[in-house]
Amino acid sequence: MLKAIKNWIEVRIGLDELVRDQLTEYRIPRNINLFYSLGTVAIAAFSIQVLTGIVLLVYYVPHPDHAFKSVQGIMMDVPYGWLFRQVHAVGSNLLVIVVALHMLSVFFMKSYAKPREMTWLVGFAMLLLTLTFCLSGYLLPWSQLSYWATTIVTNMPTAFPYIGDYLTEFQRGSSQVSGATLGRFFALHVMLLPALLVMLLGIHLFLIRRIGISRPPFGPGGQERVEWTQFHHESYPDGMPFYPHYIAKEVFMIMVYLSAMFFIIAFLPTLFSPADANIPADPFKTPAHIKPEWYFLAPYQMLRVIPSKFLGITLQMIAITVLFFWPFLDRKEERNILKRPVLLGGFIGALLVWIGLTIWGNF
Amino acid sequence: MGKFLRQSSVLFIVLVLAVPVLAGYRDIASNAIVNQAVVESEIENLCLTCHESAMMDEKRRKIPGEWRASWHFQNDVSCHNCHGGDPQDAALAMSPERGFVGVPKYQRVPAFCGTCHIGILKNYLASGHGRALMENGSGPNCVTCHGAHNIQKATIDIINENRCSQCHSYDRAKEMKHALSRTEQKIEDIEASITRLKAARVFTEEEDKEVFRTLAEFRTLFHVVDVSLVKDKTDDYLKRLGVIDKKLQGIFSELDSRRNFSVFLLLIFVGMAITGYLLSKTYS
Ligand code: HEC
Ligand code: HEC
Ligand code: HEC
Ligand code: HEC
Ligand code: HEC
Ligand code: HEM
Repeated sequence: MLKAIKNWIEVRIGLDELVRDQLTEYRIPRNINLFYSLGTVAIAAFSIQVLTGIVLLVYYVPHPDHAFKSVQGIMMDVPYGWLFRQVHAVGSNLLVIVVALHMLSVFFMKSYAKPREMTWLVGFAMLLLTLTFCLSGYLLPWSQLSYWATTIVTNMPTAFPYIGDYLTEFQRGSSQVSGATLGRFFALHVMLLPALLVMLLGIHLFLIRRIGISRPPFGPGGQERVEWTQFHHESYPDGMPFYPHYIAKEVFMIMVYLSAMFFIIAFLPTLFSPADANIPADPFKTPAHIKPEWYFLAPYQMLRVIPSKFLGITLQMIAITVLFFWPFLDRKEERNILKRPVLLGGFIGALLVWIGLTIWGNF
Repeated sequence: MGKFLRQSSVLFIVLVLAVPVLAGYRDIASNAIVNQAVVESEIENLCLTCHESAMMDEKRRKIPGEWRASWHFQNDVSCHNCHGGDPQDAALAMSPERGFVGVPKYQRVPAFCGTCHIGILKNYLASGHGRALMENGSGPNCVTCHGAHNIQKATIDIINENRCSQCHSYDRAKEMKHALSRTEQKIEDIEASITRLKAARVFTEEEDKEVFRTLAEFRTLFHVVDVSLVKDKTDDYLKRLGVIDKKLQGIFSELDSRRNFSVFLLLIFVGMAITGYLLSKTYS
C-alpha cells in the first residue's frame, strides 16, 4: 500500500530523482567545516520560533489592558505555556547569536565573493529582519522593560533632520509608545516579518543551491579557484555526499543548539528577563536603568559615548552600509583571510570593540 | 556592471553621510539650549545654623545630630515641620507669627505628632494609654516609646521590659508582644518568599495586595493596648496569611518541577547531540 502511494507520486513528480539530486548524490567539498552548518541551525531555530510563536498567539491578547495579563496567564495557567514562552524568548536571543555567527563565518571564509554577492545581500537583509523581529517582539509582553526599551529605540530616528520626528511618530502610531504602537508591532511580528523572512529565505536557499556551495578557503583544495566568467553550477563530483555525512553534522549542531537552550531554561531561566520584565508597563513611571537588549547594547552605548548624536548615528549608518555592500567593496582576490593581515586585524578589532561596548553598556 | 555596482554603493554611502551632517546643525543648536539650563541651589536651613552653634548648651546642641540620624530626616521631615517657625528668616525664625509652636507639653505631644500621624493618633487616644494620658497624665506619650529626635523605623522591640515596666508589670505587655511578633514574623517570611518568587520573575501582584491589606490592618493594632483584642485579631491574620503561604509554596514546587522537566529535555538533547556526533564520525 505504502509502496503504491510512493509509486503514484514517483510517476508524477519523480521523487527518486529529487532525492538523488538533493540528498544522496548531492556532493559538497571535502574540506567543508562545521561553520557551514550554522545556516541550517538558523533555519531550525527560526522554525522553532514559528512553532512556539503560533502556540503563544493562541493565548496572547495584543491590547495594552490585557497583554501583560495574558502573558502571565501563559506562564501560570496554560498547561506547559511557560515552556513555549521560554523556548520562544530564549530562542529569540539564541537565534540572533546563530545568525550573527553564520554571518561572521561567511565573512571570515569570504563565501560572499563572486558569484555569491546576492546571497550575501539577501542574507544581510534577513539579519536586519531578525533584529526587527526581536525589537517588535520585545514590546508585546507590555512590561516596563518592553515599554521603555521600545521608547528608547523608537526615539533614535529623531536625530534625523526634518523627517526625524515624523519617522518616530510613524513607528509609534502616536506621539508616545501606546496601544497604537502595540498594534503595529504585533502586526509586524506575527504577519509581515514572517512573510518577508520566509520569502527572503526562499531566495537565499535558491541562490545557494543554484550557484552551489562555496569551497572553504582552508584545508586541502582550499586554494583551488575557477575563473567565473560564465554561469555554471559549482559542483564537487568527488566531494562528500551531503546525505548522510553532512546531515549528521547538521543534526549534531541543531542538538547542540537545543541543549544550549534547555541549559539556559533549566539553570538560568531569568537570564534574558530582568526585573522590569515582571512589572506591567506604566507610561508615567520611568524605571531607573533602562537598557535595550544585549545585542543592541553596543550601538546604544556608542550613541551614549559619542557626544554628538548625529555623529554616532552617522558612524552606525556607514558601518551598516559598508557591511551591506561589502562584497562589492572588497576587491582583493585572496580568499584566505589569514593571508590578509589588515582585513583580519580590522575584523578582530571590530569584534573586540563590539564586545567591549556591550560590556561597558551593561553598567 | 561590477564597476557600476561599486560606484553606486560608494555614492550611496556619501548620501547616507550627507543626511546626518545636516542633522548636526540641529543637534548643536539644541545642545546650546540645554547648557543654559540653571542649576537649582540648595536651600539653607537657618534653624540648624543657630542650633548647631555654640550658642546652644551642650544637651541641646546634640539635637540636630540626633535628627540627622533619624528616619524623619531621611523622609524630609525637618525641624519646622514639627516645631513650626520659618527656617528662611533668621530674625523671625522662632516667632509665633510664623507658626512657631515651641516645645509641646507632655500631654500635648500626641496631638503634636498626630498632625501627620492621624490614624495612629486616633488609635492611641482610644486606647488605655491615651485615655490615661488625657485623664491624669499617667499614660505614656509618643516620645516615651519613640523618642523625639532620634526616631527610627518602628520595630517590635520598642516593647521591652525596661520601657514597659516603668508604670506597671511587664506580663500583659509580654503577651501582647508575643502575639504581635508571631504575626510580624509570618509576614516577614511571606514577604521573603514573594521576593524570591519575584527574583524568579513570577508575577505576584495578587499576593502582594493581600499581604499589604493584612499588614495595614495589623498595624492598627500597634497602639491598641487591649491584649485579648490583639490576640483575636492576630489569630485571624495568621489564618489569612497561612492561605497565602500555601499558595506561594505551591508556586515554589511548580517551579521545581519545571526545572526538573527542563533538565529532562536537556538530557535528551545532549544525548541526541552525542548520537549525531558519533554518527557523523562513522561516516568519515
Ligand atoms: C538666630 C538663631 C536661631 C534660629 C535661626 C533658630 N533658633 Fe531655635 N533657639 C535659639 C536659641 C538661642 C534658643 C534657646 C532659647 C531659650 O532657651 O529660651 C532656641 C530654642 C529653641 C527651641 C526650644 C524652645 C523652648 O521653649 O525651650 C525650639 C523648639 C527651637 N529653638 C526651634 C527652632 C526652630 C524649629 C528653628 C527654625 C525654624 C529655630 N529654632 C531657629 C536660636 C535660634
Ligand atoms: C518629629 C518631630 C520633631 C522634629 C523633626 C524636631 N523636633 Fe525638636 N522636639 C520635638 C518634641 C516632641 C520635643 C519635646 C521633647 C520632649 O517632650 O521630651 C522637642 C524638643 C525640642 C527642643 C527642646 C529640648 C529640651 O530639652 O527642652 C529643642 C531645642 C528642639 N526640639 C529643637 C529641634 C531642632 C533644632 C530640630 C531640627 C534639627 C528639631 N527639634 C526637630 C519634636 C521634633
Ligand atoms: C510633618 C509631619 C510629621 C510629624 C509632625 C511627625 N512625623 Fe513621624 N513621620 C512622618 C513621615 C513623613 C514619616 C516617614 C513615612 C513613613 O515611614 O511612614 C514618619 C515616620 C515616623 C516613624 C517610623 C514609621 C515606620 O514606618 O516605622 C515613627 C515611629 C514616627 N514617624 C514617629 C513620630 C513621632 C513620635 C512624632 C512626634 C514626635 C512624629 N512622628 C511627628 C511625618 C511626621
Ligand atoms: C506604648 C508605647 C507606644 C506609644 C505610647 C506610641 N507608640 Fe508608636 N509604636 C509602638 C510600637 C510597639 C510600634 C510597633 C512596632 C512594630 O511592631 O513594628 C509602634 C509603631 C509606630 C509607628 C509605625 C507603624 C505604623 O503603623 O506606621 C508610628 C508611625 C508610630 N508608632 C507613631 C506613634 C505616634 C505618633 C504616637 C503618639 C500618638 C505613638 N506612636 C505612641 C509603641 C508606641
Ligand atoms: C508612662 C507609664 C506607662 C508606660 C511607660 C507604659 N504603660 Fe502601659 N499602661 C499605663 C497605664 C497608666 C495603663 C492603664 C490604663 C488603663 O487603666 O486601662 C496601662 C495599660 C497597659 C495595658 C493594658 C493592661 C491590661 O490589663 O489590659 C497594656 C497591655 C500596656 N499598658 C502595655 C504597655 C506596653 C507594651 C508598654 C511599653 C511599650 C507600656 N505599656 C508602657 C502606663 C504606662
Ligand atoms: C535568518 C537568517 C539566515 C538563514 C536562515 C540563513 C541560512 C543559510 C543557509 C542554510 C545557508 C547554506 C549553508 C551555510 O553556508 O550555512 C546559507 C549560506 C549563506 N548565507 Fe545565510 N542565512 C541567514 C542569514 C545570512 C546572513 C545575515 C548573511 C550575511 C550577511 C548570509 C550570507 C550567506 C552566504 C553568503 C551564504 C553562502 C555560503 C556559501 O555558499 O558558502 N546569510 N545561509
